[in-house]
Amino acid sequence: MYSKFAILFVAGVAALCAQETPPNNSVKINLPPDSPLTLISTDLGDSHVSQRGSAVVLDLDVALTLHNSSPNRVRGVTLLVAAQEVTPGGKASVSVPSLDVAPNQNFPVRINLRLLRPAQMRGGPLVEVNLDGVLFQDYSFYGPNRLESRRTMTAWEMQAQRDRKYFKSILAARGLDGLKQAMLESLNRQAERPRLDVQVSRGRAVTSAAVGEHAVRFAFLRFPGEPVEPVEGWAEIAGNEARNPRIDVHNLSSRQVRAVEIDWIVTDRQGKQYMAGSVPASGPEFNLKAGSTSRVLQDTALRLSRLANDGGTPLSIAGMTGFVGQVEFADGKVWIPNRESLANAQLLDILEPSPEEQRLMDLYRKKGPKALADELNKL
Amino acid sequence: MTHPDQTTLALYAGQDLGWFRHRRTQRHLARCRECRDEVQAFASARDNLVALNELPAIPWNRLAIDMKANIRLGLAAGECVRGERMAGPLGLFGILSGARSLAACASVMALVTAGLFLERPTPPTAPAIAGDGAVLRATANGIELNEGGQTLSLLHVRSGDVTYSAGAQGSMRAGYVDADTGNVTINNLYVQ
Repeated sequence: MYSKFAILFVAGVAALCAQETPPNNSVKINLPPDSPLTLISTDLGDSHVSQRGSAVVLDLDVALTLHNSSPNRVRGVTLLVAAQEVTPGGKASVSVPSLDVAPNQNFPVRINLRLLRPAQMRGGPLVEVNLDGVLFQDYSFYGPNRLESRRTMTAWEMQAQRDRKYFKSILAARGLDGLKQAMLESLNRQAERPRLDVQVSRGRAVTSAAVGEHAVRFAFLRFPGEPVEPVEGWAEIAGNEARNPRIDVHNLSSRQVRAVEIDWIVTDRQGKQYMAGSVPASGPEFNLKAGSTSRVLQDTALRLSRLANDGGTPLSIAGMTGFVGQVEFADGKVWIPNRESLANAQLLDILEPSPEEQRLMDLYRKKGPKALADELNKL
Repeated sequence: MTHPDQTTLALYAGQDLGWFRHRRTQRHLARCRECRDEVQAFASARDNLVALNELPAIPWNRLAIDMKANIRLGLAAGECVRGERMAGPLGLFGILSGARSLAACASVMALVTAGLFLERPTPPTAPAIAGDGAVLRATANGIELNEGGQTLSLLHVRSGDVTYSAGAQGSMRAGYVDADTGNVTINNLYVQ
């Protein structure tokens, strides 16, 4: 009799505590028939479903193995991740830039995703993964580009080439010791970089504290050779909240511009500067012909606070600075500021590193200067 | 111009100044933008404190009903057990047989369930901010889109150094080097 009770009890507790494995059809991977990438395998690894009170939490740890079936080297991939049933107003993507995948080579992409929902799960896929774009070595692109991944991946690739060139020049001029010194400077810069906790919402104030809202004017940094210049811009500021940035930009080039991204720096009352985000403009409504002026406008609210380890207090915004971070022309070519311009404007201490610089720093940290030098010489 | 001190501005923001000092500070604020901004910052901080004070969304009423029902069931089962113990010679072994033992187990299970509900409450998905719209934010181990209590998160479980950036078109980005693959991975969330 005791054993009957014990079995019932243990089985009950186990059923309550157990983390179930999600069904195999939780994730659906869709690659078009003419895709330059083919799916080799999908591994759900440590994925599990668990109960948290009245909510269901689905933790997906998806390891995809993709195959480059094109004749070109792949430099970057963006996958669109949709969970419409959970967040009808949102979507997600996972990008892997700074790749160098030869034809007929396999490469991994990992997606770690968590869905929290109050109800029990229904059947069918909860998450659908679609290919949004593939960038090749020659800057050609494949994909529906719903997320503007062509522009972002092209910009990342240009940043990668810019930063590799910079570190290669140091290696050539000052050898391994010089490279080591430059890497330590990068690592220190990233450790010291002032960071903020930012919350983003669309189309309304994040808090109801719109009292005392006033318009603050952007100051602009200008770089030599930039094809687009910011003319003037404003945002509504209320305490630690910045809303509705609008910036007029003028096309200095002789080519039509399809997209512009203005990087946005805020200054607190002590004069400390932080990277708040970027203000992009693209799409059919943004038409910037040669010599014309147009407006970059976003209906968004950003709420800025210091990080928890820095007190977590709301940041009182005293000033704003903007500069052109990216320009995409109608032919798909992209302009980015060079490293010298960023250094001269003392922006390297504020900006986050490019994905490639992040990768190189990681390589240096884990394998040392010799491995980094080999990597720089390889590409 | 002499500015009021920080304490005065903080008390003003909280409507805690006396009438005379309130009027004098108000007159100063009317012509001093710097102090107005300070007051606004104090007001925002107060809003945040209020938000932080809120408890996560746990359905207390429903839990209370569940617990009361479980306790009643447990007491009823206990009565059955006591009756059997007094009446029958089988003592402890007798009470664990048949339907009564099932009822006893069910009551224990129900209590364990309630305990687990209390021990492992729903994660605090209620936003620390006002309003019903979708909000993007960075969390300790990823970036999160929260909409109506449901969340979609992209996690960076295999990396320590992560860079975050926000896009004013309604996006949040986290970039890191995946420790398993060695590839830079950039997670993006977008709110429409």
